[in-house]
This record gives sequence, C-alpha cells and structure tokens, in this order.
Amino acid sequence: MLSLYTRRRIINAVGLAISILAMAFGLFWLCWILWTLLEHGLPALAPVVFAQMTPPPGSSGGLLNAIAGSLMMTLVGTLIGTPIGILAGTYLAEFGQRGWLAPITRFINDVLLSAPSIVIGLFVYEVYVVHIKHFSGWAGALALSIIVIPIVIRTTENMLRLVPTTLREAAAALGAPQWKIINFVTLRAARAGIITGVMLAIARISGETAPLLFTALNNQFWNSNMNQPMANLPVVIFQFAMSPYEDWQKLAWAGALLITLSVLTLNILARVLFRQKAASH
Amino acid sequence: MTAENIANPKITVPKIIVRDLNFYYGDYRALKDINLSIAEKMVTAFIGPSGCGKSTLLRTFNRMYQLYPKQKAAGEILLDGENILDKKQDLNMLRAKIGMVFQKPTPFPMSIYDNIAFGVKLYESLSKNDMDERVEWALRKAALWTEAKDKLKQSGTSLSGGQQQRLCIARAIAVKPQVLLLDEPTSALDPISTAHIEKLIDELKEDFTIVIVTHNMQQAARVSDFTAYMYLGDLIEFGDTSTVFTNPKRKETEDYITGRFG
Repeated sequence: MLSLYTRRRIINAVGLAISILAMAFGLFWLCWILWTLLEHGLPALAPVVFAQMTPPPGSSGGLLNAIAGSLMMTLVGTLIGTPIGILAGTYLAEFGQRGWLAPITRFINDVLLSAPSIVIGLFVYEVYVVHIKHFSGWAGALALSIIVIPIVIRTTENMLRLVPTTLREAAAALGAPQWKIINFVTLRAARAGIITGVMLAIARISGETAPLLFTALNNQFWNSNMNQPMANLPVVIFQFAMSPYEDWQKLAWAGALLITLSVLTLNILARVLFRQKAASH
Repeated sequence: MTAENIANPKITVPKIIVRDLNFYYGDYRALKDINLSIAEKMVTAFIGPSGCGKSTLLRTFNRMYQLYPKQKAAGEILLDGENILDKKQDLNMLRAKIGMVFQKPTPFPMSIYDNIAFGVKLYESLSKNDMDERVEWALRKAALWTEAKDKLKQSGTSLSGGQQQRLCIARAIAVKPQVLLLDEPTSALDPISTAHIEKLIDELKEDFTIVIVTHNMQQAARVSDFTAYMYLGDLIEFGDTSTVFTNPKRKETEDYITGRFG
C-alpha cells in the first residue's frame, strides 16, 4: 500500500512525462517542416529572387513581382480591415453589454472567423470580380481584409475586456464622457494587445492562397496597378510547386521560406510587444 | 429601522442629505430606507461588515452605479439642496463636483502629469502655465510633489502602490470637486502609505467634504468626525465618531466595534 504522498508523486511524474511527450510530438513536425523548408529554400534564396520577375519555364528569374504584389495587397487589406475591426471590437467591448445587436454581431463574427478562406475568395469573386469582369489587386486586398476584420474584432474585444473595470470607473468618476474614456483610457491601456492582434492578422493573411486565387489571380510581369491581376507569393508558390519545371520548383521553395520567415518575424515581434506591455503593468 | 433608534448628530451645515434612499441590484434590495446627512468640510466614515451596503451607498453619491444597466436607486440625495438622482441631473457635471478614489490605485496609462491634467482638461481650458501650476498644486496637496516632481513625464504605473494611490487622490482633487468619495482607499496599501493617506485626509478636509468607506475601524476612529454603522443594507447607527466608538446607542454597533461580530 503506497502512501498518499508517494502515489501523488508517481501521478505527477506520469503526467509530466505525458505532457513532455505531447510537446515533443508537436515540436517534431514543426521542426521537420522548418528543416525541409530551410533545406530546399536556402539554396534557392539567391539575390536574383529579389531582383527579377517570375520567369517563363526554363529561363532565370526571381519573385520580385510576387513579393511586391503580396506586400501591396497585404498592406491594403490590413488598412481596410484594421479600422473596421478595431471600431467593431470597441463597440462589442464597450457598448455591447445591453441590447440584441452585440450578441448577434459577436456570433456572426465567430462564424466569419472560422469561415474557410476559399469561401471568402469565392464571395469576392462573385460580388466584385464578376462585375468588373477581370481579376485585380483590389479584389485580392478586399478578400484579405475580410479575413482581417474578424481577427481584429476578436482580439480588440478581448484586449479591451482585460482592461480593469475600475479604470473605466475612475475615468467616469472624473466626469469624462464615454467617448473620452474609450479613446484616452481604455484603448490606450489595451494598445499593445490590439497591435499584437493586428500583427497576427497580417501574419495570417500573408500566407493565404485560396482567397487570392479567385481575386488577384497572378501576373507574370511587374505590375503596380491595383486594378490589374496581381502576382503574389502564395499563388506563385501554388503554381510553381505544382509545375514539372525544376527552376520553378526551386523558386516555390524560396517563396515558401520567405513567407515563413516573415510570418515568424511578425509572431516574434507580436510576442515581444505583448511581453513588454505585461512587464510595464 | 426607525429614526428614533439612530443617534442624530448635530450637523449644522449639511452638504449632502439622503432621504429614504433604496437601492436595487436587479431585484435585490441592497439599501433600505437610508436617511442621513453629510456635514460640509468634515469627514464622514461608513463602516460595517462586507456586503452591508457601505460602498453601494457611497457609489450613489456620484451615481457610479449608472454604468451598470441593472442597478437603480430610488429616493432623494440632495447636494446643496438639489436632488442628484433627478433624471435631469447631468451625470458628468455631477461627477466633476463629486470626486472619487477607489480601493485599488487606478493610474491611467499615461504620464503622471497627464494623469492629473486629464480630468482638468475636461472642464477647464488652462494655459500651459496654469496647467503646470494646477498639477503642482494637486501633487502638493496629495503629498506627492517631492517624490514625483522630477518624473512628471514618466508613466503613472511606474510609481509604487502607495504613490499611485496618492496620484489618484491628486487627480481627483485637481478638478477641485466639492466632495471627495474614498472607497476603502488604503485597503491595498502598507501601513506607511496608509499613514500618509490618513494624514492627507486630515489636511484635505479643510477644502473638501470627505466621505470614506473603510473596513478598518481604527481608521474610521482616527480620521472621521462622523461615523455611520451599516448592516445588511440598514443604517444601524449614525453619530459623532467619538460617541459611536465610546458610547454606542445600539447593541449591534457595540458588538461590531468591540469585535464580537463581523
């Protein structure tokens, strides 16, 4: 008969071992993915990737047009989606305690948050691309912004809810109207968290392929006109990786590595920022 | 509770008069027919066990409860003769006249200077110089000037707990309110900071009418001129602090004060 204490220690050790195994299992795949990516991507990542356009099969080229297109559409998508997301999230957190509008908005936002991105691509195709009769960078940015909005709404609401009620009460007790309380006190207190959310949203859309496939499509040439079909990394990777041409496949690896590195950087930045905020409180 | 049971202190200049005040959290009646007066430029303390309604009563004076849809008050609270529970009462103007300091220090996420200027800017447009003077005045009043004068641009959250609470007091008095509500202002502080703030309360009553809620009976005895003892939403006894503590009229009060209960 084991003593209660010994039994507890054994259970603790077993639990710990299982947790470590689970963690190792998860990390194993992640490391394998990163390793494969580095193995194939690093040799392909030559300066020419940043200097030349996507080539026809058999000739040399780079990803410049795709990198530029991705940056432009991600930027525009973020610029459209972030203000809407922050405003809606603020509404939910600060005014959403009473009435029927907030719970419905929150529910729809949850649905949107988990909507497959290909559906969003098809939606923009149907309501925008079909009407203007050609693919375009604007359509791509629009589709990306629809992905940004629910993410930013959710993080903004969550971060504002973390702001202690006493802070709102303290501002109200000075006679501050609600819009001033929100602008100068609660949004400020939640600032780091909200920026983190926006960065995670950027990280999310910079790798999205499906919504761009039906909207921005692709473009072999340099194009800075948002009203034209636009090259972008995810679709180029999709197209090149599926091709039988070896130099295209190499470029696809380079693009995949680029996206992963930038997403990783954004995630790390977001973490550092959030940690700094936590330390200052 | 009948009025005869309560020792009625002689209050010559009442700043606030509470008449037949009832308060509800949804259906729950948290305050029952409260009647009392708050003397001008004196310190009035509300004591009683947790959940007795002392904070609830305090929060009716600036209608803080109005932030929450399910809370409501019925009755009259007269501030200089005007019923502040009246629908026509402008909430923000009322709160500019009645300042409040909370249990936990609540510095805003901005500099020490801006923490104080925030409230002032709401109702006055001062020049840079006047604002500097006001900030200094408030910090001096709150006995924080010497510690904070070299770091006015630093974040308010960089101060220690006791300093943060004094910053909150400075912020509340910077708008020059007439009444100052203190909701357990020292319960999160160490004894030294507590002593600082008690000394401060003593000085502040020259300019302000002060109402303080406290769990600490010695504190009520030390800082207040009048004391109200509450229990389960009733005002059990209200009188001069010295009378309530040395010669309570009611047995419940005596039991609580002597520590036999609560």
